[in-house]
Amino acid sequence: MTLLSKTLTAFGGILLAHACYSAREHTTLQSLRSAATAALTSSPAAAVSLPVDIIIETIISTFVILLGLVLGTRALRPLEWRVWAGKIEREGEEGFTDGAGAVDKDFMGNPFSVLESRPNFVDIRKQRREFTEWVQKGGTPQGQ
Amino acid sequence: MSSTERELQISPIVQESLVHNSRTLYNLQSITASLFGVSAGILGLESYPGFLFYLVFSLLTAVLFYVLRVAPTSLAAAGGGGKGKSALLDTSRYFRGPFEFWAGGLMNGLAGFILTWTLFYGLVRA
Repeated sequence: MTLLSKTLTAFGGILLAHACYSAREHTTLQSLRSAATAALTSSPAAAVSLPVDIIIETIISTFVILLGLVLGTRALRPLEWRVWAGKIEREGEEGFTDGAGAVDKDFMGNPFSVLESRPNFVDIRKQRREFTEWVQKGGTPQGQ
Repeated sequence: MSSTERELQISPIVQESLVHNSRTLYNLQSITASLFGVSAGILGLESYPGFLFYLVFSLLTAVLFYVLRVAPTSLAAAGGGGKGKSALLDTSRYFRGPFEFWAGGLMNGLAGFILTWTLFYGLVRA
């Protein structure tokens, strides 16, 4: 989870707790008041619905927490093999990190790495040519 | 060989990615369903309005998840591929079927929703 999603979730949680407490206080107050009026006038008071500000606060806090949670989900991975392998080939480990920047635990790396490091496919002539160029340029071995 | 089988042979899918994506979506749906239950309990909703609340917010979750997580990469990929088909609201890059993505959360989180809904209704209205 990134810092943004954590902040949003925590802020929304505080708002939601406050809304919950407000609603609880409101219902307690209503029941007390209705009991008092019932004792005085013996006519049952109608149940009063929640004030608008508590309703708005609840809905907004729910939305803020929802936004934080969605932002905190891990990045999805492509389903098709060719798209997935292409993403690995292009982006490497950077494409498979979670929000905090750490590489996922189940990241396996290039699925074709076995094929690419086969010794049968080493271009020995190219390596020899590179070595000759290096010698001709006056590369000094460590012994001299 | 059936057509879906042939399709899987031509463009194979990665099982690990499928499991990873499904689990990510499932975790989000479960945890948000409990959250919606808390909200519905605080609001004091009863019977149909409560389920309507859950329906609306589940769809909102799916839309938000699509906009923030699925759309940026899949739209870019579709634009680069130049296939010409309408790529908006298309989740096939990350999920098997559209039904699983858009409506799967309704069943996944219903139990958690009702649990926290009744709990917080009782807490607030006691």
